[in-house]
Amino acid sequence: MDQRAILDHQFVIAAYAITWAIQLGYLAWLGLKWRAQQRNARPKGRATR
Amino acid sequence: MKKLAISLYAVVTVALLGWAWYQAIYVAPDEQTMHEAQRIFYYHVPSAMVAFLFFAISLAGSVGYLAFRRNRAEWAQISDAWALAGAEVGVVFCTVVLITGPLWGRRAWGIWWTWDARLTTTLVLWLIYVSYLLLRRFAAGPQVQTLAAVLGIFGALDVPIVYMSNRWWRTQHPAPVFGGGSDSGVKDPAMLAAFGWNVLAWLAWGLLILALRYHVERHHQKIAAQDAQDALDA
Amino acid sequence: MMRALWTHLVKDLRIEWRSREAINSMLFFALLVVVLFSIAFDPRGAFSQQIAGGVLCVATLFASVSALNQAWAREIRHQVLDAQRMAPTPGAELFLAKVLANFLFVTVVQVILAPVFLVFYNLHIEGQAWLLAVVLPLGTWALVANGTFFAALSIRSRNRELLLPLILFPIFIPALLAMVLATTAILTGESDPTLWIKLLAGYDIIFTTASLLLFEVVFNAE
Repeated sequence: MDQRAILDHQFVIAAYAITWAIQLGYLAWLGLKWRAQQRNARPKGRATR
Repeated sequence: MKKLAISLYAVVTVALLGWAWYQAIYVAPDEQTMHEAQRIFYYHVPSAMVAFLFFAISLAGSVGYLAFRRNRAEWAQISDAWALAGAEVGVVFCTVVLITGPLWGRRAWGIWWTWDARLTTTLVLWLIYVSYLLLRRFAAGPQVQTLAAVLGIFGALDVPIVYMSNRWWRTQHPAPVFGGGSDSGVKDPAMLAAFGWNVLAWLAWGLLILALRYHVERHHQKIAAQDAQDALDA
Repeated sequence: MMRALWTHLVKDLRIEWRSREAINSMLFFALLVVVLFSIAFDPRGAFSQQIAGGVLCVATLFASVSALNQAWAREIRHQVLDAQRMAPTPGAELFLAKVLANFLFVTVVQVILAPVFLVFYNLHIEGQAWLLAVVLPLGTWALVANGTFFAALSIRSRNRELLLPLILFPIFIPALLAMVLATTAILTGESDPTLWIKLLAGYDIIFTTASLLLFEVVFNAE
């Protein structure tokens, strides 16, 4: 029974950790995309905002 | 001023997520049959709700784009940005659903997956919107937005058909249903509270990410329009 | 009234008749798929009846994709699309003609392949065999109508041949389910295929209507 509880606990941690990895990973990707977009616009001497 | 409001919103969202996490892990009691594994539910179901909402927003954007593209160009561009943002962030949340679901199912019901109406429809939705994103990435030419909008509508048409066909299939060949009944036995008020907080927190987070994605896309549209204008002028 | 449709249809059929390139490649590909599946999923005994329906449908699926990838290739090569856009006839007629032509090609492949299939899987049809003549065309229509439409969507993309199955298959899933279940029901005689035939028919009506309505939009966007 204890073994089962340990495994349950691990699965919960895995689920929560993967959720956050996906969400923060996407946010990071979005941030990189934004930076690349800013950098692309700048050399042409254009106001980006 | 606007930046301050957004930063404040972000801080509140993160606080909500922290509070909701605390509720889910420490405050909500252990469930009778599924014990601790049931806590995955507090992340899984809110994510599903946000995913479906955002896919609906994407559909509205697709329809809006097709409706506005002749007469109101600016509105069409705004619609298209919502279509893309809704699809992309929807896929992010849907991915979370499709990964947390089997983790929960494995501990709660002993199986990683079952082809019931809900899971199959969620999987097909994910496939449809991933294909939508692939079309947007690979289709070249100035009319990507129109083509993507059409695909978005076709995809949306398919979803109820998938759901109904699976329901009929399952009346003929009954199989385990993930999540039991529609409420999954969440009756304990402490559980309901944890669930409610997570719905609120994930919705707040989702809307924040959605708005950011929309903003990045609008910026991209303006740059592309400027580039096109420069090419014409040169 | 539907003269443009007739003209396009006859043109496509005549070109195909002279070269037979689409049908030959489809036929061979479908045959290969059947053989591969026979090796992968042992078709001996009672089990074969259960999976034969699925194998036939998937073989049709792969064979059709190889044809659909070429669906608009000729039109692109010879600037036919621009000519059509300048003509006063509705684009929907061109679309419908394409679907009908491809539908005929795939059906020819299915008819030729059926006896091969019966032999490899030692099939005896327990249920009402004539219903197969309803189920297979309905399923093929679903595949070809959507496939031709999505082929038009992916014309200008870099990985056109890869993109088509990626956007077609998810949306095709319920039709595939209905087609397989109906075929299996007919082959094994174990259940009633009526529900699935109705679902297929409904799917065909919904998506053919959507395709006809939205083809002009896609066509003019190219």
